[in-house]
Amino acid sequence: MKHFHVSYFNNKKAQLKIQQMAFVLVALIIFLAIVALFYFSISLSNIRKTASSLQDEEALEAVRKLASTPEFVLTTHTCSNCIDLDKAFSLKERRSYDEFWNLDFLQIENVYSEEKNECDKANYPNCKTITLIKNEEIGSPKSAFVTICYWTREKGGYTKCELGRIYASGKNIDK
Amino acid sequence: MIFNKKALEFSFSWIFAIIVGAVIIFLAVYASTEFIKTEKTKQDTVLGKQLGIILTPIETNLETGKITKISIPEETRIYNECKSSQGTFGTQKISLATKLLNDEWGKPGFPSTFNNKYIFSQDVIEGKEYFVFAKPFNMPFKIADLIYLWPSDENFCFVNPPREIEDEILDLGISINITSSASECKKEAKKVCFTTSGCDIDISLDSSGNIKGSLKKKFADRVYFETSALLYAAIFSSPEVYECHLKRLMKRTSELSLLYYSKSLLLNSKGCASNLEVDLSSYTNKLFAFNSSLDLRELFFDAEIIRRKNEALSCKLF
Repeated sequence: MKHFHVSYFNNKKAQLKIQQMAFVLVALIIFLAIVALFYFSISLSNIRKTASSLQDEEALEAVRKLASTPEFVLTTHTCSNCIDLDKAFSLKERRSYDEFWNLDFLQIENVYSEEKNECDKANYPNCKTITLIKNEEIGSPKSAFVTICYWTREKGGYTKCELGRIYASGKNIDK
Repeated sequence: MIFNKKALEFSFSWIFAIIVGAVIIFLAVYASTEFIKTEKTKQDTVLGKQLGIILTPIETNLETGKITKISIPEETRIYNECKSSQGTFGTQKISLATKLLNDEWGKPGFPSTFNNKYIFSQDVIEGKEYFVFAKPFNMPFKIADLIYLWPSDENFCFVNPPREIEDEILDLGISINITSSASECKKEAKKVCFTTSGCDIDISLDSSGNIKGSLKKKFADRVYFETSALLYAAIFSSPEVYECHLKRLMKRTSELSLLYYSKSLLLNSKGCASNLEVDLSSYTNKLFAFNSSLDLRELFFDAEIIRRKNEALSCKLF
């Protein structure tokens, strides 16, 4: 009887110890999970920041380079960094280029145009902007001044060049 | 006997602690290994994207373009992947891999995708420093800037190249040996023969004196080229990468041809007729049917006709 009592008491004590250890383990795992969650949220925000800055860098490089790409460059003159506005206006209707530059926004602006409206078939070239890409969500666009040239029938017909500005914004990383 | 048996006895709490301890240690080791791998992939992915961005300013006109040396902090593998059927223009993918702690190559990071880049290199290149230069490709209007990339420790030796190529290599400052005989080349250099055969790369030039012909690498299929821009492309890249990028270039040419077609209609309405619409339309149809470098000759013939017609115009289209 005495022997049974001791064994029963020891068993209870051991059970209590196991319970204690299990609680400590559960607490430890919860603590580690919280630490991991905290770390991963910081790490994820860092990755987002890196990706976003890379997209901005890419957009900036694109703005610098766009004027000399074959789709925009004026090839009839020796100006290798002038934008052919006639070509850019024709490009507006071509949807195949929507994903080509990895941009969310791309616009060419005639800086000194007195008009305020977007270019279309009816008003071109007497208009302010040609928007080639405009997605729903856009970041802050980067811009660069460029020379924009187009053919005009004035004075018997010649290529007229004016000051323009090109705006571009990189693809949103959340998409 | 009974005493010995008692010595081997483990209480349940000990067994439990050992098992749980082992599980915890295993999880910790596994998590840290995975963490290192993820960090490595992240670094390689960022590096791949940065490389793509660095290459953008290199795409420039020949007048200002010079050879550039790109240095990467550690020994790196660059994977050049080309998909000609993806999207309207096909895609260029670059991914980078660096060495792990055990000196083995890790898995490449996530590839950076570009629609408007054409990098001609072997499928996989490795090194710490790379040479890169770009050349514009016209057909007959400008299509793109082609980028040529190879590791700095890979030497090339051109045997009897045409005067045009020799002058260009000297002007650009490309570190390629030019010799009159294959025996004068360095032992480890890749020999590129223009008039003889039996080298690592044999080139057969057309008898017209222009830079066009075909190129055969050892154990690889013959590829065809027109202009020096495509000749360099064929030399520095694998036949698969070359043919794939060529398909992408033809897709872009067809889109540009359609763009000039639209511009021609626009200028017509402004009283500046070019009458090139029929030629551009037929040229576009041929470009859509492009299959391999063997079709280049016919396309360049058509491109030359369009170029001459455009030259004769008072109101030029391009």
